[in-house]
Amino acid sequence: MIPIDVAAYPTEITGIIGIWVGLAIMLMIYSYPMYKETIAFRLAEHTFVATVMAITIVVNIDSLLRTSLVHLFTGEQLYLIIPIILGFAMYALIFPDYRWISRYPIAILVGSSLGLGMAASMVPSIVSQVISTATAPTTGAAIDWFNFAFIAIGTLCAVSYFLLTYEHKGIVKGPTQLGRYFIMIGLGAYFGNTVLFRFAMLSGRALFFLQVLKIVPM
Amino acid sequence: MSSGILGKITNIDRRILYWILFVVLAVPFISPIGLPVFVTPTSQAMYNSLNSLKKGDVVVLGINFGVSAWSECLPGSIACVKMVVRKEAKLIVFGMGTTDVAITWNEIMSKIPAFGAGTYKEGDDYAFFGFLPIQETTINLMATNFRQVFTKDTKGHLTDDIPMMKNFNGAKDCKLVLSSDTGDVGDYFIRYWQVPFKVAVGWIGIAMNASTGMTYIRSGNLVGLLSGVRGGAEMEKLIGEPGSATTNMDSISTSHLLVVIAVIIANVAYLATRRKA
Repeated sequence: MIPIDVAAYPTEITGIIGIWVGLAIMLMIYSYPMYKETIAFRLAEHTFVATVMAITIVVNIDSLLRTSLVHLFTGEQLYLIIPIILGFAMYALIFPDYRWISRYPIAILVGSSLGLGMAASMVPSIVSQVISTATAPTTGAAIDWFNFAFIAIGTLCAVSYFLLTYEHKGIVKGPTQLGRYFIMIGLGAYFGNTVLFRFAMLSGRALFFLQVLKIVPM
Repeated sequence: MSSGILGKITNIDRRILYWILFVVLAVPFISPIGLPVFVTPTSQAMYNSLNSLKKGDVVVLGINFGVSAWSECLPGSIACVKMVVRKEAKLIVFGMGTTDVAITWNEIMSKIPAFGAGTYKEGDDYAFFGFLPIQETTINLMATNFRQVFTKDTKGHLTDDIPMMKNFNGAKDCKLVLSSDTGDVGDYFIRYWQVPFKVAVGWIGIAMNASTGMTYIRSGNLVGLLSGVRGGAEMEKLIGEPGSATTNMDSISTSHLLVVIAVIIANVAYLATRRKA
């Protein structure tokens, strides 16, 4: 058997209860896809949502205290009152008459995020990608040249497919159709990777199932 | 008769497939096949970056995946942290996942004896700052003023009082960023740490991110990429310590074989029944 890097089946009662509760909730959740929607599934689903919500609230309040409120109340960074007020303004969404107030923090958040993101992503997402696509390989390896040609042609054809200011016929018919195939190949690879990710998650659950039952070491 | 069987195949209850899939995933854990793992250039590049670390270099680890993605991101993260510890580099850890950062970091530490034995010490060798919200702006601010983002670690120690943090103020003091995530945080490190400060960034991502990561590898924005459990298995092979990713690979491979077989059978059955109709 391939060695697993740790052998740690819990010995304390809390740990043992923890993994068995984990297994029970996992089976309750899987009862939906593998059997049908049951009360057990709903119980597990609601327990999960409630637990995550509770932890999220606690962690966010703790974060707010650590990063903002402490500095505000000690007078170190008084300007922090502005984002805190804007944050509370979001709750105006709850009250229909005052919903308009929430538009200000949302506008600031979207505007600043968009400005920051657009400015910062220009180089890595556009400039670097254009340069790397247009730069010929420095080695003489055939596979590098094939990749270079494949990516360059694929990029040009895929981009041409999305240029909608002209009809896709005549001289551009071939490249745009080829671009469509490149896009389909790309999406296929992306879908394949997505399946791999989902299976890896399921594989982790299968391993956990066997470990709790002590069929394989934990 | 055959069309009857083919007809049934096209209408098979999906729950039967789920059960078969679960069994196919579970059996290799009980009877491992030991399929070989080949190292891809992106994993090799990640290993080379980690191997080039010198004693005292500062590495930042961003834990941005939940427990649900442990099977994908955790093995690669553990293997990379093992290399950081082996090279005696310093490690700064934080995350942007609300519920999972502390649990995941504890899990990583529990798999590496140096943490338990106390030879890799908190404060001197590593610091854990926990969760912080608003990913993009936080990472941007952190690049230039780490102390403004994290004034204390999770145990309440002031950042200024943590010995290993004395000379660390942001990206310019960092040798390598390891972004372990299921989303876009790797992108943010590239935007705000790699491009302006030329900090090396390695991505420990889920398989879904492989396509995105490869473009950054080609453009030189990423120094390495571990793609999901496969990348984790490759890194485990490179560091010579097989772990859970190596064990998982048999399971993943057999499940993929099942999908390929299922796709072929389903298409044959569909075409046969359509022709008959």
